[in-house]
Amino acid sequence: MNDRKVEAASPLQMPVTNVSTQSSLKKFAVRHKDALIATAILSPMILWWLVLSGFPTLFGFFLGFFDWVGIAAHPKFIWFDNYVRFFKDPLYYEALWRSIWMGGLVTGITLIAGFGAAILMNMPLFGKGIYRSIWYIPAVTSTVATTQIFNLLLDTNNGVINNFLKSIGKEPIVWQYSVFWGVFWIVVYSVWKGVGGAALIWLAGLQSVDVSLYEAAEIDGAGRWGKLWNVTLPGLKPIATYIVITSLIGAIQIYEQVLFMTGGGPYGKTEVLVFRIYRDAFWDFNLGMAGASSLIMAVVVFVGTVFYYRWSTNSDRSSTIKIKGVKGGPKA
Amino acid sequence: MKESFAKKLAFQLKPGNFIAHLILLSVGLVLLYPLVFMVLAGFFTRDEFTSSIIGLLPIAKAPTLHNFFVLFYGSADAGIQKYFINSGYRTIYNTFWALLTSLLAGYVFARLRFKGKDQLFLILLGTQMIPGTIALIPTYLEFARFPFAGGNNIFTGGSGILDTWWVYFIGGPSLNIMGAFLVKQSIEKIPYELDEAAKVDGAGTFRIIFQILLPLQLPIMAFIAITTALATWNDFATPFFYTSSDKLQTLPAAITRLSSAAASPGAIPNWPLIITLGLGMTVPALLIFFFFQKYIVQGLANTGIKG
Repeated sequence: MNDRKVEAASPLQMPVTNVSTQSSLKKFAVRHKDALIATAILSPMILWWLVLSGFPTLFGFFLGFFDWVGIAAHPKFIWFDNYVRFFKDPLYYEALWRSIWMGGLVTGITLIAGFGAAILMNMPLFGKGIYRSIWYIPAVTSTVATTQIFNLLLDTNNGVINNFLKSIGKEPIVWQYSVFWGVFWIVVYSVWKGVGGAALIWLAGLQSVDVSLYEAAEIDGAGRWGKLWNVTLPGLKPIATYIVITSLIGAIQIYEQVLFMTGGGPYGKTEVLVFRIYRDAFWDFNLGMAGASSLIMAVVVFVGTVFYYRWSTNSDRSSTIKIKGVKGGPKA
Repeated sequence: MKESFAKKLAFQLKPGNFIAHLILLSVGLVLLYPLVFMVLAGFFTRDEFTSSIIGLLPIAKAPTLHNFFVLFYGSADAGIQKYFINSGYRTIYNTFWALLTSLLAGYVFARLRFKGKDQLFLILLGTQMIPGTIALIPTYLEFARFPFAGGNNIFTGGSGILDTWWVYFIGGPSLNIMGAFLVKQSIEKIPYELDEAAKVDGAGTFRIIFQILLPLQLPIMAFIAITTALATWNDFATPFFYTSSDKLQTLPAAITRLSSAAASPGAIPNWPLIITLGLGMTVPALLIFFFFQKYIVQGLANTGIKG
């Protein structure tokens, strides 16, 4: 009840009471009122956060330096052996590379399709609110539930898509045996789930572009494409930075669809790094490798974010100020 | 009146607008297709589903509501009500804490002045960039070695709080950093004079937060509530990793178990049941979405532009 005591000394009474005669404790309370309230409110939250995220994250970074297979086993400190193995064993560095290019692919397709949809939704159409809802619906569904539906559609013997192929006289495809189709459907699923959200964010960006700029462009004789190229796209720069970074961070860490759709198969050729971490940790109990892979993933995500952020803010600093709050704070 | 309607219709049917309609509608239907399929397949019995050839739009010959009844009344092979209730409780609990922590922390970081505030906030925001997967195993170990719980002495011995309700109780009230960020941004837009006036009238800190500032934060709070609720409702990882007994399972974890049981060789997956469970998960999420839709749009706009 620290804050109660502090509130008793409200600022109104301060000029009346002689500060010098107050006990030093009270003086301290008055002088540091804000800090005391902040401590009272924040400390339980921060403590909880440390238990749930802060400490586990730090611990995760340390796990990578141990040889630790099986929860009950005794961990052995082995310096960087796990990291050396990471870059020697194709199981790992290929999974990392797959995470990166699949994440990039998913982000690219999602954002481009979402942008197209947003431009269409920004037109004065009847019922555009309904379109917006329909496109966004996949995003609110559960990954577990909808991947099962996709699995059902892709069933080899009695799947909808194979039945359809058979009905038009084509050979049915065993999707599960093919790396290409595995990746293909993972990407399709991710885009299916993400495109509505991307469209919404782009739409918010489109609507925030200053209307008077369009009028000015019109007076200068710009056509529809001219306006898109010269007004809309530059105006979208801050939001583009935001959406590309957040989508990439999300897409590189895809693993649920891999877990539920392909299980990493065939022959682990659709394993992405986060799925590999999951597999190490919960199937093989190789905690050391899982920790090392997590740290590498974190570094990749962090470095990627910083680089992209630098690159996209270098060309135009003025328009990205507000976004700074998200990724580096207002003063970064 | 009629003319204006005809005019409007003509405007909507102009080539450009018509094509836009066509694209948005057709792609929208394709996006909706898996869910439509899910509803239709829910009418099948297990036998009919495995024996008949499933077309693009499967129509059951002997449609049954059995699967939907199972959702509400449970069945012998799956305590579905239990999963529902667990999911529901977890969602409400986590949402409550997310709202409370983001409001309080948002207020502290927006209004109070103390040393190291900006640095602290930056650190918290920065941790949002670290992939969450890194904490999965340490959290598991932490739960397993939780002091004085589940037969543990100080650190080892038993199973800690793994597979107990404590996983949910302790895991719920985490500081919602993104929410705090949004609330902070939003409070900073409110003139400080409002706080001052309330203070002059004798309002304390909590009164200012809950009676003066909270009513102005409702759209942001709604956005935080929706995103947290949906994330918790759809979260399969926490129950799947940290619990194993049946009484603690939630809907997504139950689906995961049903489908992995189906993956074992020789087992015929109970697809209609899995689908119905999926439907049971999806419908509440859709309802939440439709009721609070405008807040999602607003919130996304806020995170993107003003954020």
